[in-house]
Amino acid sequence: MKHKPLFIFVSLLVLASMVLAACKPAVKPVVERAYEEIAYSEPLALEAPSCDYGGKIKSIKALDEFTVEFSMCKPDPAFLAKAAFTPFGIYPREWLESYANTEGKETLLSHPVGTGPFYLESWNRGDSVVFKRFDGYYGDKSPYETLIFKWATEGAARLLELQAGTVDQITNLSPDDFDTVKGDANLTFLPVANPNILYLAMTNTFAPFDNLKVRQAIAMGIDRQRIVDNFYPEGSEVASHFTPCSIPNGCQGESWYEFDPEGAKALLAEAGFPDGFETAIYYRDVFRGYLPEPGLVAVEFQTQLRDNLGIEAEVVVMESGEFIDESTNGRLDGFYLLGWGADYPHVTNFLDFHFGATNPQFGDPFPEIYEVLEEASQIGDAEQAGALYVQANNAIKELVPMVPIAHGASASAALATIENAHFRPFGAPLFNLVDPGKDTFVFMQNAEPISLYCADETDGESLAPCQQVNEGLFEYAFDSGDVEPRLATGCTANADSTVWTCTLREGVYFHDGTKFDANDVVVSWTAGIDASSPYHIGNTGSWEYYSYLWDGLMNVQE
Amino acid sequence: MTNMPAEKSLDMDQYMDGVVAGKVPEPNTTEKDYRSNSLARLTMRRIFRQRNAIVGGIMLGLLILVAIFAPLIAPYDPEEVLIGKEEVSKRDSPCIHLLGCPEDQPQHILGIDGNVRDVFSRVIYGTRVSLFIGFTTVGFAIIVGTLLGAVGGFLGGWVDNIIMRFMDVLLAFPSLLLAIAIVSVLGRGLQNALLAIAIVTIPVYARVVRASVLSVKEQEFVSASRALGGGQFHILFLRILPNAIPPLIVQGTLGIATAILEAAALSFLGLGAQPPTPEWGTMLGSERNQVFTAPHLVFFPGLAIMITVLSFNLLGDGLRDAIDPRLKQ
Repeated sequence: MKHKPLFIFVSLLVLASMVLAACKPAVKPVVERAYEEIAYSEPLALEAPSCDYGGKIKSIKALDEFTVEFSMCKPDPAFLAKAAFTPFGIYPREWLESYANTEGKETLLSHPVGTGPFYLESWNRGDSVVFKRFDGYYGDKSPYETLIFKWATEGAARLLELQAGTVDQITNLSPDDFDTVKGDANLTFLPVANPNILYLAMTNTFAPFDNLKVRQAIAMGIDRQRIVDNFYPEGSEVASHFTPCSIPNGCQGESWYEFDPEGAKALLAEAGFPDGFETAIYYRDVFRGYLPEPGLVAVEFQTQLRDNLGIEAEVVVMESGEFIDESTNGRLDGFYLLGWGADYPHVTNFLDFHFGATNPQFGDPFPEIYEVLEEASQIGDAEQAGALYVQANNAIKELVPMVPIAHGASASAALATIENAHFRPFGAPLFNLVDPGKDTFVFMQNAEPISLYCADETDGESLAPCQQVNEGLFEYAFDSGDVEPRLATGCTANADSTVWTCTLREGVYFHDGTKFDANDVVVSWTAGIDASSPYHIGNTGSWEYYSYLWDGLMNVQE
Repeated sequence: MTNMPAEKSLDMDQYMDGVVAGKVPEPNTTEKDYRSNSLARLTMRRIFRQRNAIVGGIMLGLLILVAIFAPLIAPYDPEEVLIGKEEVSKRDSPCIHLLGCPEDQPQHILGIDGNVRDVFSRVIYGTRVSLFIGFTTVGFAIIVGTLLGAVGGFLGGWVDNIIMRFMDVLLAFPSLLLAIAIVSVLGRGLQNALLAIAIVTIPVYARVVRASVLSVKEQEFVSASRALGGGQFHILFLRILPNAIPPLIVQGTLGIATAILEAAALSFLGLGAQPPTPEWGTMLGSERNQVFTAPHLVFFPGLAIMITVLSFNLLGDGLRDAIDPRLKQ
């Protein structure tokens, strides 16, 4: 054993290395942090004083380091589908405690930290958002290092960039460019199967839209087929109901009014407006799958309202953020053009969001609609809930809070050299699954993100980049609306779906090197759902998805 | 004037016009000779020698005729949507039967726009809107600018200082940016856009008029008028201003071109004329995304703007060459 000292030395070296490795975090932080990690010691919990506040969430409790329990005030069979949505992403507890305050708000909105396949390197305002591959990601790692988000509001500009090869994938292809892309061997045409709806909205707190006959006349006086035929790409269809028929229970009940200009005029005269009236049509000049050419469609509505009903409407284009804020809070005194792309594959995403008791966007909510919807949303079996959705859809037709117009077909495009280029039916593409065959992948969308803290965002251009950084408990599948585990490995519900117990994934680290545990889930959800939480600070302050999808926020001060 | 021979005496105004034109009538000049050399005749003669002015004038004359007779020239109402009325679809290319377009297809010589309307009719009616914009904005700016410049230049002192410093402040802003700011405050729409453009161009005219007034008011015929007991108002508006107008005409003609361009820019940005008004800038703005797929929708309104602006610029250049005494042959 003349090598015994050497053997002892090597053994000691290995032992020391193991000790050092155990002391260091398993994943090297890729994002600088100015706070200390808080190790999991005692479980945190959030509990509503009672269920009287009207919301669905009763409590969220960490049972142990990797188990969280969601108790509901009322059953919610769509819990998993909702929890997979981007605004319910999980952030490090330490990060929220440091930056979810007035002083740290700028960092909160612009430097997100998550567990996703990419971490944020820089947000170059007005130009791009740059992400880098997170090597400590537990799932499928990106085959390339740098992901760049760029934007251009014009469809022609996006296509030009793609054809020039300066970007690898673009979103929202203009309908006029469909054939160009299909005929170009260097490009891949990617149909987007996201269910959507365009509607012509009115706010019933403003005259004359407070008059039911006026709203019904407008419902009958718009030739929706003409709009679809002339302004939508192939594959689009006139909306028979607010919810697309591809969503279970979406098309229950009577179809929408047939186009009847004479009947509409008579009804308008009966309402006291034989010569029509003057109003405005508000819209934002932003391309969406449900509204591919906003300006043209707005002018078409202007023409139809004038010709069919004698209504003189001024077309008013608004800045996107202002338009969303004004319209969703019910402050627009004329018509407005808005739409919706499905976030998760459940009828509640369309009906409960828009016609729920707390949504003021069409003015005063209608109890005839929301009471039925609340009842229906608690029934897990789609067939059993069908009768209630018949009732709800018929009430929507009778009361006309808005006029459903079209379900638009839309598409994305990528360079033909990109492997696995895709556009999911729900959510933004999973860019870690794409292989461009080079070190950088550039994605071009419509507009710059508003913020990158998506717990309090509804803007699609913000949700897409957020999704690369932050993950929720679940995620939508690559090619369908099914949910797949992410930070949770699974959730089980009790018999009436009022208690969901989720087991969390172990060995997951955030980009700042802190370890993921159950308390991160509790604090992230608390920041969103509890209006009295010190961490309840975001970009819009309205926390729309937390509010609408869970029927309201806890501890809201009157 | 008392030493002028009685038989050769001229009307005072004619005499003054002659002085300004640099043609002080000789005592032995007959009235007929004098009239043949009057300022207006000389100017007209010089204008007709300017090829630019003639071309610009002809182009402008045609545009004015198009604007006046738009309902006779345009085959369709500019706001008429042709869906269901003709076999046409959104953004159809131009169809001219003489150039081989099938006879069974409806003729639309400049094509169909995104809202299925006849582009030719919209371009024709757009002439009315653009000329209206040009003349009203510049007219308003000239009236206000002339008053301010004339009063400032004539009175001088603190009045002049206040007026001209305010004009300097307005001139310090890029005109389009200032117009956008004004429209943002007043609200979008053609009327407010006109007002905004007029406001931002006032300083240009105020300066031109002030400079002319400053030079004219020192001339002898003004002193003569004053010596004859002419009042301030009389001297300023009847003696000085008429003689300060030529540079204003040149500036105004060129200014109309700028005003039309600025109005088109505001409409392009969605701040000027609103749909469905057939305004060229609005037409360009609403179809800017189709520059590769339907280039005719941006080419023809753009061409119309270019021709109109060119006509005013040519005319303005010609007028300047004809009127500016420094360029006299």
